Amino acid sequence: MIDTNKPRVAVLQFPGSNCETETARALETVGLSAEVFRWNRPSAQLKEFEAYIVPGGFSYQDRVRAGVIAAKEPLLATLAEEAGGGKPTLGICNGAQILLETGLLPGLHPGRVEMALAHNYMTVDHHVVRRGHHCGWVNLRCEVDAPRTPFTRWLQKGQIMPITVSHGEGRFISQDPSILEALTVKELVVWRYCNDLGVTEEGLPVNPNGSYQNIAGICNPEGNVVALMPHPERAFYLRQVPSVWQGEWGEKRKRLQANPDQWDAPGPGYALFASLAEHFGVRSPLG
Amino acid sequence: MSQLFTDDLFHNKGALAAALKQNGLALTPDEAIKIKERIGRVPTMAELFVFDIEWSEHCSYKSSKHLLKKYLPVTGRYVIQGPEEDAGIVEFTHKDGHRYGIVFAHESHNHPSQVLPVEGAATGIGGIVRDVDCMGAMVIGVADPLRFGDPNGRYPDRTKAIIEGVVDGIQQYGNALGVPNLGGDVIFHEGYDDNCLVNVVAIGILREDEIIHSRVPEGGVGYDLILVGKPTDRSGFGGASFASGTLDQEDEEENKGAVQIPDPFLKNILLHHKATEQVRKLAKERGIPIGMKDLGAGGIACCSSEIGSSAGYGVEIHLEQVHVAEPHLPPEVILCAETQERYLLAVPKDFTPEVLKIYNEDWDLPSICFGAGAHVIGTVLEEPVMRVYSNQEVVVELPIEFVVEGIRYEREAREPKVHFTEPSLPQPTDLSEVLLTILRDPNTANKEWIYRHYDTEVQGNTMIRAGEADASLILPLDGCRTGMALSVDGNPYYGEISPFWGGATAVAESFRNVAAIGATPRAMTDCLNYGNPEVPEHFWALEEGIKGLSEAARRLSHPNCEEPIPFVSGNVSLYNHSSTGTSIPPSPIIACVGVIEDASKAITMEIKATDSLLVLVGNRYNELGGSDYYRAIRAGKGANIPIVRYEEERGIIYGTIRVIDRGLALAAHDISAGGLLLSAVEMVLAQHKDAPLGMQLNLSQIPSDLREDTLLFTESSGMLLECRTDHLEAVRAIYREFGLDVYTVGHTTADRNLTVLNKEQQILLHFPVETLRTAWRGSFGLSLAS
Repeated sequence: MIDTNKPRVAVLQFPGSNCETETARALETVGLSAEVFRWNRPSAQLKEFEAYIVPGGFSYQDRVRAGVIAAKEPLLATLAEEAGGGKPTLGICNGAQILLETGLLPGLHPGRVEMALAHNYMTVDHHVVRRGHHCGWVNLRCEVDAPRTPFTRWLQKGQIMPITVSHGEGRFISQDPSILEALTVKELVVWRYCNDLGVTEEGLPVNPNGSYQNIAGICNPEGNVVALMPHPERAFYLRQVPSVWQGEWGEKRKRLQANPDQWDAPGPGYALFASLAEHFGVRSPLG
Repeated sequence: MSQLFTDDLFHNKGALAAALKQNGLALTPDEAIKIKERIGRVPTMAELFVFDIEWSEHCSYKSSKHLLKKYLPVTGRYVIQGPEEDAGIVEFTHKDGHRYGIVFAHESHNHPSQVLPVEGAATGIGGIVRDVDCMGAMVIGVADPLRFGDPNGRYPDRTKAIIEGVVDGIQQYGNALGVPNLGGDVIFHEGYDDNCLVNVVAIGILREDEIIHSRVPEGGVGYDLILVGKPTDRSGFGGASFASGTLDQEDEEENKGAVQIPDPFLKNILLHHKATEQVRKLAKERGIPIGMKDLGAGGIACCSSEIGSSAGYGVEIHLEQVHVAEPHLPPEVILCAETQERYLLAVPKDFTPEVLKIYNEDWDLPSICFGAGAHVIGTVLEEPVMRVYSNQEVVVELPIEFVVEGIRYEREAREPKVHFTEPSLPQPTDLSEVLLTILRDPNTANKEWIYRHYDTEVQGNTMIRAGEADASLILPLDGCRTGMALSVDGNPYYGEISPFWGGATAVAESFRNVAAIGATPRAMTDCLNYGNPEVPEHFWALEEGIKGLSEAARRLSHPNCEEPIPFVSGNVSLYNHSSTGTSIPPSPIIACVGVIEDASKAITMEIKATDSLLVLVGNRYNELGGSDYYRAIRAGKGANIPIVRYEEERGIIYGTIRVIDRGLALAAHDISAGGLLLSAVEMVLAQHKDAPLGMQLNLSQIPSDLREDTLLFTESSGMLLECRTDHLEAVRAIYREFGLDVYTVGHTTADRNLTVLNKEQQILLHFPVETLRTAWRGSFGLSLAS
């Protein structure tokens, strides 16, 4: 639904994207206007939007490697220009893979592919016990202060957030040690996988893919472009959090059964979308 | 018309049989002769292939259809669409003045998965998703009931390769498709060593006034028939016949050719919410009635004849207009190949250009998959005939009713002379080791190593998922609290002792599982997996199984309404036997859809608070036949399998639903395989691994003469609830209305231990939860994953 009074967000759709509907729904719910933008539309039309989300899925069937084909589409060239101009841009899961493959992230030298999201490997006591696609709930710890990105305004440094992952290639790596060093120095790590106390333990079940230093999400030096492997749109309502979850969110979730008026209470992922709304001065209805 | 089969051949059955086999036809000489007599001439090769498929067990249900008709209840107040189309539809809820339906169907891909596990399992999902999608539904979930051979048995390497391949096929296809996996179950039994079972359920949702029927609409004479999707190739040619025969290892290479090739990437775009939705939306806006059907078994032949005949019309097909993947395909291949990811639409001629544009330009099918697209391949005729041209030559000219009416066989049923006996063994001195053995068994051990590969969360509507409760729960309608629950069940260890109770217990367990989260059973879909119908003992098992399903569906009806819980769709998979003639255990598999009006009341199975009570519902009987316990102590199969005591079972099911609706339970878990003790242990292990709670069970609280091992492990139906102390009397009162007593068999504790007290209130079992968790992790899963 196009509402000219609301900031317009494009949700990019490639052949094989499969999270565009729920991503657009999340944006609409926080008071933004979302439009699913199909890959074969003229890329210049993309400039009309004020923010972008590249959603999850299997663009181009993950041929060659996840995200690499979509990254070379004309749409992404336009997106890179717009993002370079400062527009908020978020890649979720396959969207994160695409943004890394374009060189938008970590963006130390924009346009150069500096990192990759490699095949998962899950370890227990440093032994690889499993590979391949992994779906489940994990905890994230926010590593930045609220103003660092347009997607973290509702968050605080150190805040723990349950969320779901579902991917086969989510391990942040780089061949270049200087890039890895810059991630910390330049405050580019936005989220890390952690346990329910906020400790970034190695291996399963805390780190679901063997990611370097438990990295789950990063931003560019300017902070406007963000990539996140887990799916905030699937943790949008409190009711979606598993009732077994430990910690503050688990306790809230257990109380839901006795409080049906909490049915639409926001879940942990709501904060990312509401942050974007706040960035545009839009007040989200929940929370 | 050219004829490779001569008239003379039909007078020599031996030569005819040889010619049929040589051409890859599974028709019997008698069937071929019947065709010739009916049409009054020698059939063409293409015609023989059409009947080869239409008369296969897979398509015609020639051995089972009369049994299904005779026994299974298929109607009821909630049924919107019974089992006559691609998928059944049952009422879900009302919202904004519209009635919404749940569309669901069940399919088997057993033979393909045995020979090519990855492709077999993937195309199984592909096929069933198309069945649901083509009704006009948004596909909102899939579930896979899986049955594998013994991973530590006769063929460990092959069995493990099949398991790995099947799981891989399911995750590759299902995840890419963007449809959440809502669970399923996995059971290992040596009887599946030569024939794995890969069943698959798909679920969709639609608004009742948006149903698209699998037939040409009324007044549709002259409509175009548009084939959409992948270019037709040789894949799956003969698939329906292959699925209706004995798996023979020497034919393995040939059989592989009968398995289709999946493309979830293309399918994702064809699915409801993308290209096809645009077509449907436009048709609706303009008030244009259209018909749509998926291409499954029998390809263009089956689909076009059914879409036409079910409206009383005929069809004309031009094979040269079909988009193909390679040149020079014989007409019978284009007509009958089972290439995946294809649909047939029936639309008015003046609407055709817009439909073609949506698929070929807007959604750019030709760029997405080489050779894919949408093309007009034929027309709807007034005359009830199926006429197929190949380059101006007529290759099929048949009365359309004759094509689709199928064939019937009355098979002989004979009860096998097998005698099962109960072992007589003393109670083992160390029940601790028995419990650990059961927990480590692949049938009981944690299945995370399988289901963590599946995307359970895509679409963002999942509320309860695999491992958290007895059924999964999703919220398929935006802004609506009504939840849909799903459980799949069927225990082959019961079926092999009594096919009847194997069927009845599958229904009862699926109802209990749905009830355990607070949802009410609404409808079922069944997949009946059995051996060779031509063997009287195998056929007897099939009939007994269907009787069991039927009786349970009728007698476990809702207390406010004496109507059976209906079967709105289903599937029959026969010939699941090896070349040595051994059948799989009789395996009826039930998927039950439940509805919970206010999903905020739904509960899960893990214990949640300290010092709450554990309440047992359902009497314990001496029913250890086919149990986990007998297998753990190597006592053989036994004889006394659990039966369904209908009135007691109704109380367990509908009493539990009421208890949960009133907010009187914190957790619930049904009692089935592994008995009371395993249910209790699972309620502890379902917690987060860092959770602080434990449990104490006290057998002295159960008034019973049964031995302690029987009490703990008997698989008699029941429910175990966690309730607050101050809710006990209210819970008791509800079950009493159903004539049931409840027993407080224990309580939760603040230590991380599980303790069981015997009848004298002495410690019988005592474990740190961590010890149980380690055993439950099993050894098989990790070794397979690494």
